[in-house]
Parts: sequence; C-alpha cells; structure tokens
Amino acid sequence: MNTPVLHLEGVSRIHGSGELAVHALREVSFEAYAGELVAVMGPSGSGKSTLLTLAGGLDEPTSGRVVVEGTDLTAAGAGGRARLRRTAIGYVFQDFNLIPALTAAENVSLPLELDGAPSRAARAAAATALDELGIGDLADRFPDEMSGGQQQRVAIARAIVGQRRLILADEPTGALDSVTGEDILRLLRARCDAGAAGVLVTHEPRHAAWADRVVYLRDGVVLDDEDAGETVGARR
Amino acid sequence: MRRWLTGWRVSLRLARRDLARHRGRAIIALVMVTLPVLAVVGADVLMQTAKVSATEGMDRRLGTVATARVEILDTLTGVVQAPDPLNGLGSGEPLSRPTSVGDIEGVIGHRTMLPMPTQTTEVVRTPHGKETMVGTQLDASAPLARGLFRLESGRWPATPDEVVVNKAARDRGVGNTLTAVQADGTETTREVVGTVADATVRSAAIVVGLPGSLPVLDDAGPSQAWLVDGPPISWSQLERLNALGVTVTDRQIATHPGDYPDPLQYSSSDSGTTMQVVALIVVMALIEVVLLAGPAFAVGARKQQRSIALLVASGGTPAQARRVILAGGVVLGAIAAVVGVVGGIGAAWLLQPLVQRFSGDWLGPFDVPWPHLLAVAAFGLLSALTACVVPAWIASRQDVVAVLAGRRGDPKPGRAFPVLGVVLFAVGILMAFLGAGGHGELTVAWSAVVCVLGMVLLVPVVVSWVALVAGRFPLAIRFAARDAVRHRTRTTPAVAAVAATVAGVVALGIGTSSDERENRETYQPSLVMGDASVTPSYSYVSVDDGPTDWSQVEDVVRDRVPGARITEVAGVAQPVSGDSWTDVQFRDPAAATAAVDEGQGEISPGTWGSTLGSDVLVSDGGRLPPLVTAADPGGDVARALRSGRAVVFSSDRSKAALERVTVEVQPTDDEGQPVDPHSVDVPATVLYRAEDAATPVRAILPPALAQRAGIDAAVVGLDVEQPHLSKTAQKDLDAALQDLATPATVYVERGYEADPMARIVQWVLAALGAILMLGGTLTASFLALSDARPDLATLQAVGAAPRTRRAVAAAYTFVVGFVGAVLGMLVGFVPGLAITWPLTAESYADGRGPYLEVPWLMIAVVVLGLPVLTALVVGLFTRSRLPMATRIG
Repeated sequence: MNTPVLHLEGVSRIHGSGELAVHALREVSFEAYAGELVAVMGPSGSGKSTLLTLAGGLDEPTSGRVVVEGTDLTAAGAGGRARLRRTAIGYVFQDFNLIPALTAAENVSLPLELDGAPSRAARAAAATALDELGIGDLADRFPDEMSGGQQQRVAIARAIVGQRRLILADEPTGALDSVTGEDILRLLRARCDAGAAGVLVTHEPRHAAWADRVVYLRDGVVLDDEDAGETVGARR
Repeated sequence: MRRWLTGWRVSLRLARRDLARHRGRAIIALVMVTLPVLAVVGADVLMQTAKVSATEGMDRRLGTVATARVEILDTLTGVVQAPDPLNGLGSGEPLSRPTSVGDIEGVIGHRTMLPMPTQTTEVVRTPHGKETMVGTQLDASAPLARGLFRLESGRWPATPDEVVVNKAARDRGVGNTLTAVQADGTETTREVVGTVADATVRSAAIVVGLPGSLPVLDDAGPSQAWLVDGPPISWSQLERLNALGVTVTDRQIATHPGDYPDPLQYSSSDSGTTMQVVALIVVMALIEVVLLAGPAFAVGARKQQRSIALLVASGGTPAQARRVILAGGVVLGAIAAVVGVVGGIGAAWLLQPLVQRFSGDWLGPFDVPWPHLLAVAAFGLLSALTACVVPAWIASRQDVVAVLAGRRGDPKPGRAFPVLGVVLFAVGILMAFLGAGGHGELTVAWSAVVCVLGMVLLVPVVVSWVALVAGRFPLAIRFAARDAVRHRTRTTPAVAAVAATVAGVVALGIGTSSDERENRETYQPSLVMGDASVTPSYSYVSVDDGPTDWSQVEDVVRDRVPGARITEVAGVAQPVSGDSWTDVQFRDPAAATAAVDEGQGEISPGTWGSTLGSDVLVSDGGRLPPLVTAADPGGDVARALRSGRAVVFSSDRSKAALERVTVEVQPTDDEGQPVDPHSVDVPATVLYRAEDAATPVRAILPPALAQRAGIDAAVVGLDVEQPHLSKTAQKDLDAALQDLATPATVYVERGYEADPMARIVQWVLAALGAILMLGGTLTASFLALSDARPDLATLQAVGAAPRTRRAVAAAYTFVVGFVGAVLGMLVGFVPGLAITWPLTAESYADGRGPYLEVPWLMIAVVVLGLPVLTALVVGLFTRSRLPMATRIG
C-alpha cells in the first residue's frame, strides 16, 4: 500500500457560528488505501456521516485537507469535486439510493453519461458492473420493481462503474434484513479485495467485522485505534 | 460540447420518465400551457379563415375567370390609382371628352367585355312594406362572370323580366315575383327564377338581373364598368387607362401590390403601435401562463430533489441539476405546443360553422397560417421553459447533504428580490402616472406589466406576513398559511397567478366601467325614455315631394300601436328633399341694433337635440312634447307660451334677463341661395340651460309670433307616448311608414344602450378571468394537498376529525385565492385608475371628465366571492379520509 486513495488531514467541520456553533468533526485525520475496507463507527451525532460527505466532496471542511486520488478537494473547486465524483468516488446510501425514473442500467451508467461518455460505451460499462455483481438480468428494471437488496447491489454497481476506486457507503444495510445485509457487505468486501478503497459507515459492530480497520468517532473526534480494537472481530 | 449533449440526454430522459411517473402533476402543467396555445391557435385559424386574402378577394370581386374589371369614371378627369383601386384613388389631368369603350380597346386590344356596373341600392316591396336590397345588373350566367354567384336552385335570368335573389331576400318574403320601385315611385314586377349565393355577402338581401332589369335610382345612371378576359393588364397599360379616367382592378396587379409602384404612397396603419400591442399581449400572456404552470413545476422540482441530490452525488454539476428541471419544461412545452396546435386547428374546424352564423359575409376557405402557429407553438415551449427557471435555479442550489439525509434542502430566499419588487412596483406606478398624464394607453398597459412583475417578487413577503397573522386563526387556516410559507416555490406562482389575473380584471373593469359611465353620462336622449317619434324620411323613391300627409301617418301608427297617445309636434317646416332650407336664429336685440358682426349676440343652448322633427317648435303652450315638459319641471315654458311670449333657451346666464329677442329668418332656395331674409323683435322668455344639459330644442314660438316672423309653421313630427314597440315591431312599423306616399320613419328612445359587442367582450374577459383564477387556485390546492399527505396523516393520527382535512384543503384554497385577489386588486387599481385619463378625459367637447367608475360589485365578487366559492367547492369535494400515508419516493 503506497499512496492512500482517500486522505483526511486534520479535518474539522463546524456548522453554524458563535454560540450556535456545532463541531461535527474536530481535527480528524484518516486514510483509506486501495484494497482496504475501513469501517467508521460511533454513536448518533458522532460525525460519521459528515466525514463521508466531506470525503465525497459534497461538503467542505472548515479546516484541514481532504485528498482523493492525489487531488485536494478544496483546491479542486466545485467543478473539480463534481468531476471527481463522476470519475473517482462512488456513493452508496442507506435508502432512496437510486433515481426512481431511471432503470438499473441507466442508474449505473449515470456518472459516465454525466461525464459525457457516449451512450453505448456507458451502457456497456454498466452492463459489466451489473454482471460483476451478479444482477445483469435486472438491467432494464426500474428501482421500484426491485427488492431492497437488489437496489443496493445496483447502487454498489454505480459506485464502482468505470475506473472508480473509492466507495463511500453510509449505512448501506440499514434498510435491509440481516441476510441481505450480509450479502451486500460481502459484495463490498469483494470489491475492496479487487482493488477499491472502501469506507463503510455503520453503527453495527457485526458489520464492522467485515472491515480491515475500524475508526471510532465520538463527538467528532477519532478515538485511538487501541481503544477500539477490542470490538473488531474475526473477518469473514 | 459532447458532455453538454449527453447531459441533456440524461436530463431529458429523467424528465420524460418523471412526467410519466407523476401523470397528475404533469397533466396540470400540460393543461396550463396547452390551453392558451390551443385558444390562440384556434382564434388565429378562425381569424385567418374569416379574413379574405388578396387572392380570395379577387375571386370574390372578379369571379374565377375574368382577368380584370375596368370602370370609366365619368368625372372627365384622369385618375391615379393604387395597385388595387380600393386601396387608393386620386384624380389626374382633366380630360377633353368622355372616354369610350373604343378608347379602352385602344389600350388593351379587343377583348370580351361583360358589362358589370357597380352594385346599386334597390327598393323592393316585401310583405312588410318597402325595403332596400343590393342590386347587381349583370349576365351572371356568362362564362366571364363565373364565380361571382352560385346558383343554388332554379335557373339564371334569361330576359330582363327575370331576376334571381339570395336566401336573405327570400327570408324577407320575396316569393315568385319581385316588385321593384322605380325612382318616380311606379313599380315594376319581375319574375324570380332562382336562388343564388353571392361570393361575399351572406346576410344582406341581394337581387341579380340582366342589365336593364332593375331600376337605377341614382341620378347618374348605371356605372360604366366591364369584366374583361385575356392576358393580365400590364402596369403601363394600367397607367394609360388611368390617364383616360378608367380604373383597373387587375387580378395579377392587385394581388401583388409590392411588385408595382404605388403612386399614392398608400400606407397601412402605424405598424410600430401594432407591434407594441402585440408585444404587450405576448408578454402579459407569457407572465400569466408561466405563473399558472409554475406551481406544478415547483412541486415537480421538489419531488425530484432526492433524484437531483443523487445526481449531484454521482458527479452531476449544478448546470446538469438545473437541466433536469428545465428538461421537464422542454418535454411538457413540446407536448403542449404540439397538442395545442393540433387541438387548436381542430377546434377552429369545429367552430367554423358557428362563426359563420355570426358573420354577414362568407368566410374564406379554411386557412391554417403555419408561420403564426409556429410562433404560438414556440410561445408554448418558451412559457413552459420559463415556468421552470426558478424551480431549476432552486434545485441546483439545494443543500445536497441535507436532502440526502432526508431533510429539506431549500436555499434561503434572497433579500434582494423583495427590494427589487418594491422598485419595480414604484417604476410601474410612475409609468402609470406618465401614461395618465399624456403618454397614452400603451404606457399605462406597460405599467401594468411592470407592476405585476414587481408584485410577483413581493408575493413571498406578503405570504409570510399572512402566516405571521395566521397564528390567531383556527387550525385549518393556521395550517394552510404556514404550509403556504413553507412551500414558497409552489405558493408564490399560484398566488401571483391569481393576483395577475385579478389585476387584469380590475384594471380592465375600471377602464371599461369608466368608459361606459362616460358614454352613459354624456348620452343625450332624443325623447322621453320609452317614447317614439315619427318624422318625415328621405326616400330613394320619392313618390310625392309635397308635405307629409300626417293623417295617413297617424293611421298607420294607430293601426300598429292601438290606443297610442299621439302628440302632433308643430315647428318650422323644412322640405324633405332638395336644398331649400329655412334658417331661424335668435339674437339679443341690443346686439342687433348695435349692428355687430354676424353671430354676435346669438342666443342658443350649448347642446340640443331631439328627434321631434325640428329644433324650433311652434306651440300655444297646450300640448307640449313630453321631452320639453320633462326638461321644464317648473312649467315656465307653458306659462310663457300661454302669455304669448317666445321661449328661447340659452347657455349664457346673462341672456336670461332679456325681455325681447330678435328672430332672424333666413330662407334659402333649392340652389342654396338666400332669399328674402327678415327679422322681427318679439317678447320672449329666455331660459338658462347649462352648457351640457340635455335641451331638446332651441326655441318654441307661440303661433301668433311665428306668423309675425313669417315662419311657415306646420306639423313636423309625431310624439308617440310609450308605444312599447319591440325592435322587430319598430322595423315592421318603419317598413309600413316607408310605404306611404310621403314616407316617414320611426325612432324609439331606448335610453343609452351599451354596444353589445363591448358587453360581450366584457363578459368574455370576466369569464376568462374567473376561469384563470379558478384554475390557479384549484391546481395549487390540489398540489398542496398531495404535498401535505404525510402532515395530514399525522393530524389524523393524533385524533383530528375527518373534516379537518376538508377544512385544511378549503383553507389553503382560500389563502391562495384571497391573498392573490387582494394583491391583484391593489395592483390592478394602478393601471385601472391611470387608464381612465387617456380613455375618458377631454374626449367630449363638454370639457367634463375624466370619468371614473370603480365596479365595486364585480371587484367584490372577484376578491371575496370567488375565493370563498372555490374554497367551498374544494372543501366539498376533498376526500375526508386518507389512505394510510406511505412513503412517497
């Protein structure tokens, strides 16, 4: 493991100002390398989701640096961040993950099409991604014609389509039953083993067991790895 | 470029699918854009169909075969004509001798020439009496005349004893024979051998016969005109014919006026003003359509905010996010344009027969003006796109993180907009002032546009005030008002659409009411309301030049109006025909003896008018015409006349002190030359009448004084009190009076009658306003209800009665309708008050005005009545129970 795919360096995020200021993250530093799945755990309001939105460039840190594939997101500007999301970063959310008006294949090819890829090439890439996740036959279904687990697989396919190596997953199993949830985590794990860097936000220790590393957040601060070590169970 | 294109592809796909998934919402937006397109297209097609194009017009005037029509004007001068002589005709060099047919042939060669004199007026006896019809003397069966008339039944006239008539003449009772009255009053009878349809005229009665078959009542005799065949007449031939005093209507030249010089520089109406009016209408319609369609797009954008957030999370740029919403406008606008254009053409096709029934002329062939329709379709697309601009802008600025976390991500409203709104409103008021102060109606109309735009920007502020105040109101109103503020993007266009509509209705209402008031108040009745007068009438066929035989007239009137109370009105007798006249003036004797200039010291009322037959009456004070006694409640007139004094009305108060006036009598002969002028001083009572008071006559003389002044007093008319004649009965009585040896005509005072067309326009406007307002509030309420489902489910869950949902729905409708209506009323007053100046000030010589009338009843109905009504309707038809609220994706 050489350069990290995702690198957070002393990142703080303060919402509001003065007496109303809320410190969502304080001086958080954190890395995720290719082939690695990092779980981010912590109670409600600990700043897990804020970390993910900063990592994906949907929000900007109040101080500190977020670097994805060697690009400083703050310096990249809004356009640059949008381009990185199309080309380098994939998101998976808890629910409402797919655009209901688009088919599975269209949802997956969306980042490529937004990037100006020719329609045929985008479709082909989407088909490949769907096949890799074992749901190639669902390509023409709309989200509301699929089960929750199937939708989440499509979301992962969208997160990896093209050359993207950073998968940001925010409670991806939260709306699923436990068996389906395990399936999704297995897939995520497999993608990371195949070379992607994954960041998994979860509050379930059971799920964190799939990760290579666990980062604990409390009140916006990363706890020492040692403090957290005890909860990391055996992988797979 | 490529990314731009693929970006649009994704956006269009998203928009198309989203619309298909939410049909109800899509249909609302679609209807709002389609209906105006459809209405404008339908109206345009009908107007183009009704309008006769230059080519169609030539077919109607020349038939389908003839090359041209030439006419010798017997003025003994050359002429100068526009390519179509109907568009302009001037006189040229004098001629030494009358032009002959040979002269024309000298220019255009020997051709077939079919005589076709100008249409004449014929007096025809019908079962009702005598009526006028349009006569054409032409061999309508000749090949050259083909296309001028269509034979519907029977055959063409073969001899001068035969004629054909159209359906309108048949409807007036023309049967197998037609009795035409000649200039000397004698009658000739023709056999009617067929029924024809004229190429142009539908509702006027027409009679067609061979040359010589119909009497020519004009002294000048039939005009010398011919249809000619052969090759088109060239411009140089036309100029040579013009020099001979011959006008030419050539099919080729008249339909291509741009190809030829126009020696008269005939120009059409001011095209700059027309363009401005068109621009004004387009802008106003655009604003209204955008506002009406706005709520549906706003709700659509809100429902798509999750999709857009996901799109942004997948790397979509703000521009791509905007495009998703804009693409919705493109898709809906395109559908609306196509459906509107096709539907409009269809509607016009269906309405064509109805329009024909209201038109006196035949409509042209069904005419689809494609360039216009393309413009209207573009307008539909533009309005849908414009309606999306604000929702799209908001969507691209939403807080993606908040939306993805399931919270609302609306950007904060800008503070600059309300300020801009106030500025625009102030500019609008200033423009209204300028318009009222002399810059004219168009400036006022533009001020309305500016005011409405300013108001749109102020609506969010007003709505938030309403929500503040709503804290004191019952739950339903409070809920509705707060909901309205929370969903500003949906509420603002809905309220603004209602406001813009009401502003238009109020402004036009004030304008038309004030105009109407001016007409009403400046109306001068010619008789007492409901009375009728009968006076001698000019006739095309003068049977007897002598004085009217009043006993005959009275018999006819008594026959038609049993028990009529008839007053014979005596006055200065004037001959019915010829140029002889007796002029009577009244002067201040002091001015007369001081031998001042003509016209000095004259005594007369400011305005006078009646249909009593003369403006100087003769009466001993016994039975005066009711209009005179009505204008003289004190009885001064009768008293003065009974004591042998003349009564003279004056608008000059100082003249009222005069005890005597000079009566100057100035007869003129048939040539208009004065003969034997004389004057006499008589004892008189001068009565003051205000400048603008309705004074029936200038003066009334007792018979003895009239005799002293050498005035021929005679019966000049009849006053028939309250005959209760319907308009048809009046027409029949008139036909009977026309039929007398000394014809007369009847007038019935029905008071001020508004132009029926203006009234129809007002009703259409009011109905349109109501429909727009209902459409605006109802759609907004529908959208609000579907938005508020989870909230209403919560209400129900905590124990709200089922009727609460109805109450909330009704309250929301009322808030949108009422706030919009009040705002609109305030805005509408600005141009409404301003427009009354250019409309009603100084338009009448009396120096009164401007007239102002605010149609409070109409405003109350629109501002209070309609919102309450729609709220009730919505409350009544809202389902009181909800299906269990499920998550809406």
